[in-house]
Amino acid sequence: MQMTVVESWIEAPLKRFVVDAGAELALLLHPSGQVLAQHGFARAVDVMSACALAAGIHASSAELGRQLDGRPFRGLHHAGRTRQIFLAEALSPRGAFVFLTVFGQESSLGLVRLYFEELVNGLAAAAPPVEAITGPALAEHFERDLNRNLAVLFGRA
Amino acid sequence: MIARPFASILDGLIRQRWVTAALVVSERDGIVVESNLQIGQSGDRMAALAASLYRKARLSASAAGLGAVSFMQLEAPAGRICAVGGGDLVLVVVAEPAVNVGLVRVEMLRAVGELLAIGGEAA
Repeated sequence: MQMTVVESWIEAPLKRFVVDAGAELALLLHPSGQVLAQHGFARAVDVMSACALAAGIHASSAELGRQLDGRPFRGLHHAGRTRQIFLAEALSPRGAFVFLTVFGQESSLGLVRLYFEELVNGLAAAAPPVEAITGPALAEHFERDLNRNLAVLFGRA
Repeated sequence: MIARPFASILDGLIRQRWVTAALVVSERDGIVVESNLQIGQSGDRMAALAASLYRKARLSASAAGLGAVSFMQLEAPAGRICAVGGGDLVLVVVAEPAVNVGLVRVEMLRAVGELLAIGGEAA
């Protein structure tokens, strides 16, 4: 399955994660829900749904962590019968991203966590210098930007 | 107070000369259940990779019709990794090259019964 990225510096660290961790699906997004990279998805609508859900879960779990523990929860793991999901915040010099991955029985949570740490380090090393202060999470051009990113990922740009 | 159900197994193994780490790991998740490590060892990293290795060895042995894996040993220039499985748990030992593997093997195989008994109770 092909990997597609909106910004090229993301590709190498993400590709390494997918290979090493044996991930079936991987998604890197802005906390607002804007997609930055995907692996394993076939349709734009699936990416859009997964991004919206991941951003929502991340925001909810962060707030739950703040209320329970005084600081946001950084990671979430859910084990299904045959597949598992891992959702976590990936901090980089370009800001915080949300990372979602789906893995099967060939991998394990331990491996995913291990290679997620390497992914975060890889993204930090590969990130180009910040050019400008990032805008608010829900900027006025959110939908336009979202559609542009999906078009880039699925070859309609 | 943190419960350490596998303390007697791990403490017995870490006391062996040249053994640097002893861990009980979940085979399915690759997560440390309990460990006894010397300073400088990364338990999480070792647990994830050793559990993955053991699971693949077990599946390979099964696919080849060899039956269950009783003892797995990996030799590298700077040391050895040994693993035995008990239910969903894997007992992993990391040691320097000079270790008496025979002794470690006997201790690890002896611990499997205890691992199964405690792991079964915990499950």
